[in-house]
Amino acid sequence: MSVQKIKKQPITITIDGKECIGKSGDTILKIARANGIYIPTMCYLSKVEPIASCRMCVVTVEGVDGVVLSCQEKAVNGAVVTTNSKELYTQRQNIMKLYNVNHPLECGVCDKSGECDLQNKTLEFGIANQSFSTRESNKKVENWGYVSYDPALCIMCEKCVRVSNEITGNEALSISVGGYKSKIINSKNSTCASLGESAAVCPVGALVNSDFKYSSNAWELKQIPASCAHCSSVCSLNYEVKNDKIYRVTNNFEFSSLCGVGRFGFDFENKNVKKDPQIFREALSAFKRAKSINFSAIITNEEALILQKLKEKYKYNLVCDEAYGYQQFLKAYSSISGASLYSGDLNAIKESQNIIALGTRINDDNPMVKYHITMASKRNRARVAYLHPIEDSNISNIVTQFVKYEAGSEEGVVALLANTLLSDCDISDELKNFLDDLDIGNLSAESSIGEEELEHLVKSIGKKQKSTFVVGSDLYTHPRAKQIAKILGAIEKYSDFSLVMVPPATNALGVSLICSLDEETEGYTIGYNAKGDFELSSLGDGDMDMPALNQQEGTLTNIDKRVVPTNVAVSYQGYVLNDISNELGLEAKYTIDYTSMLPTKAGFQTEDFDNLSAYFDNSGCEHRGYLLTSKNVKVTENFDEIEELPTFDGAIVYHCNENTNISVFANTTQAFKLNEIYLRGSSQFANIVKIKDGDEITFSTNGIKYQRVFKIDEGMKGTIALNPTFDMDSNKSLSGSYRFSHLHREQ
Amino acid sequence: MAHIEEHKETQIAQTEKQNYVMLNLGKTPDYGMPAFIQVVKRSLSLELLKGLGVTFREMINGLFRGKMHTTKYPFEKLPIAPRYRAIHEMLRLLESGHYRCIGCGLCEKICISNCIAMETRYDENQRKEVSEYTINFGRCIFCGYCAEVCPELAIVHGGRYETAGEQRAGFSLFEDMLTPIDKLKEQKEFAGFGSVSPNADENIKKTPLAY
Repeated sequence: MSVQKIKKQPITITIDGKECIGKSGDTILKIARANGIYIPTMCYLSKVEPIASCRMCVVTVEGVDGVVLSCQEKAVNGAVVTTNSKELYTQRQNIMKLYNVNHPLECGVCDKSGECDLQNKTLEFGIANQSFSTRESNKKVENWGYVSYDPALCIMCEKCVRVSNEITGNEALSISVGGYKSKIINSKNSTCASLGESAAVCPVGALVNSDFKYSSNAWELKQIPASCAHCSSVCSLNYEVKNDKIYRVTNNFEFSSLCGVGRFGFDFENKNVKKDPQIFREALSAFKRAKSINFSAIITNEEALILQKLKEKYKYNLVCDEAYGYQQFLKAYSSISGASLYSGDLNAIKESQNIIALGTRINDDNPMVKYHITMASKRNRARVAYLHPIEDSNISNIVTQFVKYEAGSEEGVVALLANTLLSDCDISDELKNFLDDLDIGNLSAESSIGEEELEHLVKSIGKKQKSTFVVGSDLYTHPRAKQIAKILGAIEKYSDFSLVMVPPATNALGVSLICSLDEETEGYTIGYNAKGDFELSSLGDGDMDMPALNQQEGTLTNIDKRVVPTNVAVSYQGYVLNDISNELGLEAKYTIDYTSMLPTKAGFQTEDFDNLSAYFDNSGCEHRGYLLTSKNVKVTENFDEIEELPTFDGAIVYHCNENTNISVFANTTQAFKLNEIYLRGSSQFANIVKIKDGDEITFSTNGIKYQRVFKIDEGMKGTIALNPTFDMDSNKSLSGSYRFSHLHREQ
Repeated sequence: MAHIEEHKETQIAQTEKQNYVMLNLGKTPDYGMPAFIQVVKRSLSLELLKGLGVTFREMINGLFRGKMHTTKYPFEKLPIAPRYRAIHEMLRLLESGHYRCIGCGLCEKICISNCIAMETRYDENQRKEVSEYTINFGRCIFCGYCAEVCPELAIVHGGRYETAGEQRAGFSLFEDMLTPIDKLKEQKEFAGFGSVSPNADENIKKTPLAY
């Protein structure tokens, strides 16, 4: 069952003589903006709670004495609002005079010049000279890693602090209050990349990206609207380009967010590629010989469709390990829920009052999901239950209940949850039989989840109406994934929870909807960003070059089940997949000709690429591509009995990329390139494996050999270590297998 | 070089002192007979030799008395007016010797023939450093906008007007245009296009410092 939505009553207010329609509970400013009426602000940021520090947004309301702050005042039906008068203008002008006191006159070199709120408003209110004065103190520029802070330029609007607390949840920034000497302080000395999100909202040049600082003027850069290629959230962003080089990434920070890797990991293009007809001929003969195509899910929908069409024509085995498990999981889920797609999305998470996250190290797997959980936690005081074998100290500030279960016992955990959450619900006989047959005692012993923990979980949910269940890639590759998916389908169907299945790779959802995937490769294999006998690579290390996702136009399917367009930011001179498929008998002038051919059976629309928009309107509504339509699927409710839960003893390795090195592409960028790759674990893990901090370790899991440097992470506990896998080629035994595995040390 | 000094004086400074006098040349003959009579008169009065005499006198003056009126162009050049717009110069701060350019990019932006290209970066002294700066003189039309827009009077037009080259594209680098550090004391303040107006001081408004 989907989230119950409380319908907000429409209200009408009059602003400057214009009838404006809004929803009850909206602020005056929000309604004004949605209706195209301009009210100047300096500190207002749509995506966080009103800050109300600038007082620029003052308006007068008939029948109310004095002025009201339109940013935080909720509109009342029938109110008559005036946004501009001589008094209001003078008041605003005085505020601007104060903002300009001792503001350094370095617009000539300031990075913000040309897109600076202070500059714009200073001109708008005609402040030509400084009329007040104060003694200036010596303020030093501080370097916080990816961003740097110049207190002399800071106007103390607090946007950055709010973003770090409410959106990114790193809680690094705070205000040191001291009158004119107030400044923003980095209390945790954090250098994390998510500070970039705080820098993005800075209205002046106080908080800027260190790598971009002083490298180009804003007006020299051309904005290319595109989509982030690093994780399945596929956030909207603009690549800002000059001379065929990306200088920085910006986004519509009023209504959307970007994580650190999206903002700073932009230079992953395949450089200096030329057309080589000899290699092209080799590629064609390889395709003619091939029996299978093995590819990674970091491709566009159009490329996935080309591969699918090639499969139909040449009977290839189409293998995508990242998406295969997800596809099977989705299918199993549909067989219970009756819908081809899960019901939740990021907005549902944001609006939830109750969130359960299961089977994903969410801060590292998908930063945007973490941001949305943070928003729910800070704004709705949402209860966040985090169920995982490893506690994550990075999200301890938003998790209200951490439930630790044994690695491998996910099936039992899901069954226990279903049993608890569905106890009062009206459920089908099959499900009832299944739940009645559960050996609760055994399950909770095996998974080490106590009954009191579950009780606490249910109690905390209480009567809260909006609930979201977030599941991740631990489950898709679990040996009992199908059964888990079915139980989750049942939870969604019979309870108030909406479900979000975080896709394991950028376009895993798109690939699993477009391609009919096979489990195994056989014979001669073409690899596309994956292992194969003939490799096509966007990283430039294969037999033939392919464009990276910032060099391609096309669409991607994101976690919101939205098909979003992306555009070419950096030029690419080589061959693309479409050139190959044209030689092999398919016909399309451009890759994007396939956009309108995406399968409508799977929920796509027959929309041309050029008709897809990519913007947010004034009210914050996202107009980006289109939403997939969920199709009805035949329901067959049958649940298998739960097998004995597998146990993992001793030293365990969990395959998990860090949140800045989400993919192999992120690791090629200047900002995130790592020379040494660390296996991170607790001191307890170090004792078991008999290893010290800084030691080199060679080990194998599921037959793949890794060489890592061990690092003790003080924030971790237990016997599970985190092993990043972005540097490994995507292959069957890695991305297709369960994320937890035993560590076999090799000497 | 005395004769060049003489030009300097006549060109601008003495413009107002010059006196123009109308010569009384009589009426020009407008038909056959009077024209014929004029030719005969001039031939018989040996006016040709008068002319040759003037030439001979000036030759003696030029060669032996140092009163040459022409300049040997590639070796000698006439000074040009400060408002003339020739090859750019990059000036330095007289106090510190550091180049004046702050890397604001306005010249690059305003250039209507797109011939200025620059790259900047954040340097160790927290300054905006100009890491690359070139002007393509094959494209430059010497409009002077760059000098006019420059907030620091860092880029100005100099007096080097020979721009002939063997190639269509002729690039000049920042270092080539920059005043050599050992010639800093010879650097002249630019008086041409975009320079500070003579009454600039009067237009400055003081920041209140009454704390």
